[in-house]
Amino acid sequence: MAVIRDMMPAFQLFQPTTTDEALGLLDQYQEQAWVLAGGLDSFDWLKDRVKRPAAVVDLGGVEELSAIRSATGGGLTIGAMAKLREVVRHPDVRSQYGLLAEAAGLVASPQIRNQGTLGGNLAQDTRCWYYRDGWNCYRAGGTICYADTPTAMNREHCILGASRCVAVNPSDTAPALVALDAEMDIRSSAGTRSVPAEQFFLGPDVDIMRMTVLEPNDLLAAIRVPGTWAGARFYFEKSRDRQVWDFALASVASAARITNGVIEDIRIAVNGVAPTPLRLRAAEDAVRGRQLTDEVAAQAGEAATAGVRPLAHNGYKVALLRNLVTRSVRGGEA
Amino acid sequence: MSDAERLDQQQADDQGYSRRSFIKGVIATGASVSAASYVLKNGAVVRAQAPGAVERLVTLSVNGLLRRVDVLPQETLATTLRYKLGLTGTKIGCDRSECGACTVLIDGVPHYGCSMLTHQVRGRAVQTIEGLEAADGTLHPVQQAVVDEQGFQCAFCMPGFVMNMVALVDENPNPTRKEAAHFLSGNLCRCADYNKILNVALRAAEYTRRG
Amino acid sequence: MADYKLIGKNYSTADLVAKVTGRAKYAEDFRADGMLFAKLLPSPMPHARVRSIDTSAAEAMPGVEVILTADELPPVDAPNEAGLTNEPVYEGEPILAVAAVDETTAADAIERIRVELEPLPFAVDPLESLRPGGPDARLDGNTMANSELTTIKWNDVDWAAIDRGEMPTDGPITDEWEVGDVEAGLAEADLVLDETVFHQSMGHQPLETRTAMAYWQNGKCYLYVSTQSTLRTHGPAARGIGIAPEDLVLVSEYCGGGFGSKIAGFVQMRLPALLSQKAGKPVMMRITRQEEHFIGRARPGLQGRVKIGYRSDGRITAMDMFFVQDGGPYGFSTDFMNAADQASLMYQPLSHRLRGLSVYTNTPPRSAQRAPGGLQAVSMIAPIMQKAANQLGIDPLELIRINAPAGQAKLGRPTNGEQGNVSSAFVREAADIGESTFDWQAMRARSGRRNGSKVTGIGVALSSFNAGAWGMDGLLTIRPDGKVYIHQGVGNLGTGSVFDTARAAMEALQTDWDQAEVIWGDTSKHLPWSTVQAGSTTTHAHTRANLAAGEDAKRKLLEIAAGALGGSPDDYDVADGRVFRRDYPRQGLGFAQAARRAIELGGRFDGHELPGDLNPVTVTAATALAGLGLMGVARDNYPLGGRVISHAIGFAEVEVDLETGAVVLKDYRVSTDVGTVINPRTLEAQLHGGAIQGFSAALGQKWTYDRRWGLQVSKRFYSNRPPTMLDVPHEEPMQWVAQDKPDPFSPMGAKGIGETAEGAGSGAVLCAIADALGEGYFNRTPVMTDMILTRIENLPPAFSNLAAHV
Repeated sequence: MAVIRDMMPAFQLFQPTTTDEALGLLDQYQEQAWVLAGGLDSFDWLKDRVKRPAAVVDLGGVEELSAIRSATGGGLTIGAMAKLREVVRHPDVRSQYGLLAEAAGLVASPQIRNQGTLGGNLAQDTRCWYYRDGWNCYRAGGTICYADTPTAMNREHCILGASRCVAVNPSDTAPALVALDAEMDIRSSAGTRSVPAEQFFLGPDVDIMRMTVLEPNDLLAAIRVPGTWAGARFYFEKSRDRQVWDFALASVASAARITNGVIEDIRIAVNGVAPTPLRLRAAEDAVRGRQLTDEVAAQAGEAATAGVRPLAHNGYKVALLRNLVTRSVRGGEA
Repeated sequence: MSDAERLDQQQADDQGYSRRSFIKGVIATGASVSAASYVLKNGAVVRAQAPGAVERLVTLSVNGLLRRVDVLPQETLATTLRYKLGLTGTKIGCDRSECGACTVLIDGVPHYGCSMLTHQVRGRAVQTIEGLEAADGTLHPVQQAVVDEQGFQCAFCMPGFVMNMVALVDENPNPTRKEAAHFLSGNLCRCADYNKILNVALRAAEYTRRG
Repeated sequence: MADYKLIGKNYSTADLVAKVTGRAKYAEDFRADGMLFAKLLPSPMPHARVRSIDTSAAEAMPGVEVILTADELPPVDAPNEAGLTNEPVYEGEPILAVAAVDETTAADAIERIRVELEPLPFAVDPLESLRPGGPDARLDGNTMANSELTTIKWNDVDWAAIDRGEMPTDGPITDEWEVGDVEAGLAEADLVLDETVFHQSMGHQPLETRTAMAYWQNGKCYLYVSTQSTLRTHGPAARGIGIAPEDLVLVSEYCGGGFGSKIAGFVQMRLPALLSQKAGKPVMMRITRQEEHFIGRARPGLQGRVKIGYRSDGRITAMDMFFVQDGGPYGFSTDFMNAADQASLMYQPLSHRLRGLSVYTNTPPRSAQRAPGGLQAVSMIAPIMQKAANQLGIDPLELIRINAPAGQAKLGRPTNGEQGNVSSAFVREAADIGESTFDWQAMRARSGRRNGSKVTGIGVALSSFNAGAWGMDGLLTIRPDGKVYIHQGVGNLGTGSVFDTARAAMEALQTDWDQAEVIWGDTSKHLPWSTVQAGSTTTHAHTRANLAAGEDAKRKLLEIAAGALGGSPDDYDVADGRVFRRDYPRQGLGFAQAARRAIELGGRFDGHELPGDLNPVTVTAATALAGLGLMGVARDNYPLGGRVISHAIGFAEVEVDLETGAVVLKDYRVSTDVGTVINPRTLEAQLHGGAIQGFSAALGQKWTYDRRWGLQVSKRFYSNRPPTMLDVPHEEPMQWVAQDKPDPFSPMGAKGIGETAEGAGSGAVLCAIADALGEGYFNRTPVMTDMILTRIENLPPAFSNLAAHV
């Protein structure tokens, strides 16, 4: 059979209006169901005819999933279906959690932010160009990683955390939410469970065919941002070749509490360098409790790159990671 | 060992046979392989049109008119506009939300029409470039600005840019050049007439301010 | 500049309202009753032979109407392509086409077709194919010598040097010329720079893909197509379909970009016509972006070596160029030859040599892309010029001036030992006006300025390219409604030239533009012989042709007036839609009256008798229009001073972040020698749009192949990266200046600019990056984050400087 792209195959479309209704459909169709949020990742797969679900469950009509609410006692609860545009523009996000507003504001393009959701941005699949093109790699159920061969083109692949697969997580908002210590509320017909952002993402060592802990009958319902880091000193930077549309070559997000020039506490997360967004505990430990100087910041950068294993074409990412982390501690304009 | 041989070895370890040798063997013996089995996952399944949970016949609000139209579950808004409603002003440049030629307004917000299902816009107001001109032929300030600035070149990107500019001047009729550029940055112009497009946007904002 | 009524003035072109209301129809906007949709079956391999095709399952599907295979196409000769093939030579090459009632059915049908392929050896890097025992992209050879396909291997060159990224210059080549004695020139130089250079291949990627729709009526084929050149696509399209030109109507009113990829349409435009013929129904072939990425043409990459000798005063004594061109799988591109021609003009070396060859590869087919070879020349040589300027202690702009062409300067490949010459070159003047307008010295003073981790770089580059053609025909009729109908066979790419050049006719008639109607875009509308809307020829060629038609119409108006009102034609003049007595302007005839008089007189006045030197195409068109009014029709027989070339000098300012490798293009300014300015705003569009395409070549656009499989992995815009609005200066308007000096050998003195503009952008940016990084010369494009950080960090390079498609 020949291969053709760019024409979505037929599927059944469901447009539930409640979460329970949506969960019922996921239970009914199991692996044959496809959850449609903003659709920007989904339509790519469908148009390429690489993924062929029988049933597409469009969450756009489930209003309860898109609310952004301030929680009593501090913090925010953001519905997974909240559009990135709403996240960027929300006054509480802007005033208290500017890190998330900044990260969400650098996603892809304005129209994509108008349509794409926070949940979709977090749960999106990797952009490894072999895998996305339908090559039969480990992640697709095959027995090879095409991006990690002597001739492989892996400029945009990972330098840390590889396990057979060397693809990276492409989300811009994920490192911000890891740095903010957010929790993910996951719903299934069995109930609701909560997973810290750091544990929401799965590396290929755990499951090579998934990016997150979401099971086929799970929905990411909401993202809870605790009040812990509200109004902290934030830093976000996304390195990319083009200023629109491009996924990050590497990104960094940090939240710091600095008093009288001393870094009292800090959380640093990066993305684009590993199969999951990474929280950099060693870098945090290197600077926590110390006077903020350029030298101290540089030590965080050095700590960030411990254990890197660059591929043939992405050695530059080591320097990029080191410098972005250094800058994230140093602060200032990205 | 050459690169290819090292890779052969690695793959042989992984999967018990060498794909490179396989391909080489095929080349040497003139054997045939199916077109689909080169590197791609052979997962194609042709399914007959499945009955969907959504209605086929839907009502859309397009440019202020209610239009009844028969759509497939997987049909995109850009396709419906162009092929079912005769609104060919909306262009498809990439069909992958990375050029912006298909930009239309949905409830006033710019969206890529290629990457929305038509079923997703039921009950929402869709506006396309055909809906900008007044009944008496008066151009929208954005359209007039294009004409007055001799904006755009091949203009295949123009409908998408124009719709995005309509949203821009509606939201911020006094943008700086930089603000306009950021707002309009989700549209690609391959003639790269960006400098003049920004002149158009600022002129359109000026016309809007003047009313 | 002369005092013109219309020329040099801003106005809005007649197509803008249609475009801005969505009424303008591009190829995919046409519909026909019962229209089928075509889909193509692409090759999944870079090179293979089709062993068998089983379409039975597809044909059994309801709604599948016809299938077209390569066997059914009119044959073409190697190394040209047919549009469908049984021996695909690049990934994505169409093997067959299916037409069905809708696109979903057509796509499903493609998936049900079984194609058995025999994989064949493939080469994606030209150097791979030159390596002893290396694979060839084609079964009939890896290069072309003296118009014959042949195979060349570099058996005796230093391959270890190539693996290190150094190009040897002793491999066998197919093309060579020399002016003066290059070895002697290098020997006498005070400074010799000897650099291995690389320029990437890059797709054209017009926003409108090469979609086409066709139907047949009464034995005639109607083809709606996206093409740069309406009239000049008609013949190739008819030949491709296998019919006589009179049996084809070709419609292309708007073209959504071409950049050289749709000069005379495209080979696959025959497919909907042949499918429609077979099915007896209209067929729309909608080409997707991914298909466009493969079948949509690309610029040939170059791998080479350039040696330049300088005297201590900056004058270039010798230029020695050696190129291996990535030729793609079909045809034959001349980019590497053009690169030498343009370099010979821009830098006027006292001695010059070109050696090179084009090697076939299993990558997308190549064609001319905006400044074919010219862009590559500037991208490769401008940074070397800057390096020389630094080493010689000369201002880089001054080094441009020192070596600049002037007047009817010599250029290019010699014939019988003699080089040709250009009609005019005002490069030193362009440098002077750019230096003062843009305050070049203040720009230079910002070089090296630090802002935290960011450092400012300043660059300047000269670019030149073809800018004219001649010998075309102009055709207009002044009709009894008083309007002037100007027929144009060039296409409408949006450069404005289809309208701008028509203004030359109205200038001759000294009549308001709103009295003109431009007829274009449909071969049934009687179009005259025209240049291709390519090679930046239109502005030059058709201001001349339309001026000729306008002057012819004017002569006829004067004669008619004299005949009707007495006196001699010399007693009359034409302006404002009238012909009138010079000494008594109130006595005269309006155009409407004159048109009726012309019809009464017949003969040459209304087109029943035509000049003998017209192209047969124009004769056919004019014959069909005869009797409709006063006809102005003439061949462009104006004198020529040589090859028509325009020039531009780009000035760029960048900021490079030494910690992230990010390049921000802060400002770009351009000064140009373009002859008489016809339309300031369309000129500005070309200067800046062209420059941005140059930035794209310098900073980001490329594709990437996995050479083991011969497959491309960067099929998407987000992975091959055409520039966005935020990648170019957008906080302040980009500036430009034209000195408006007419080309002395053309009646209106206008020259084209579209292609020249591109190299100025690329070269200036590459020089600015190098300037920011100190001695940060890469000799390779595009320069991206990874390369900059690798350089700054002193990391081992990830790939050889000569590696293609990385």
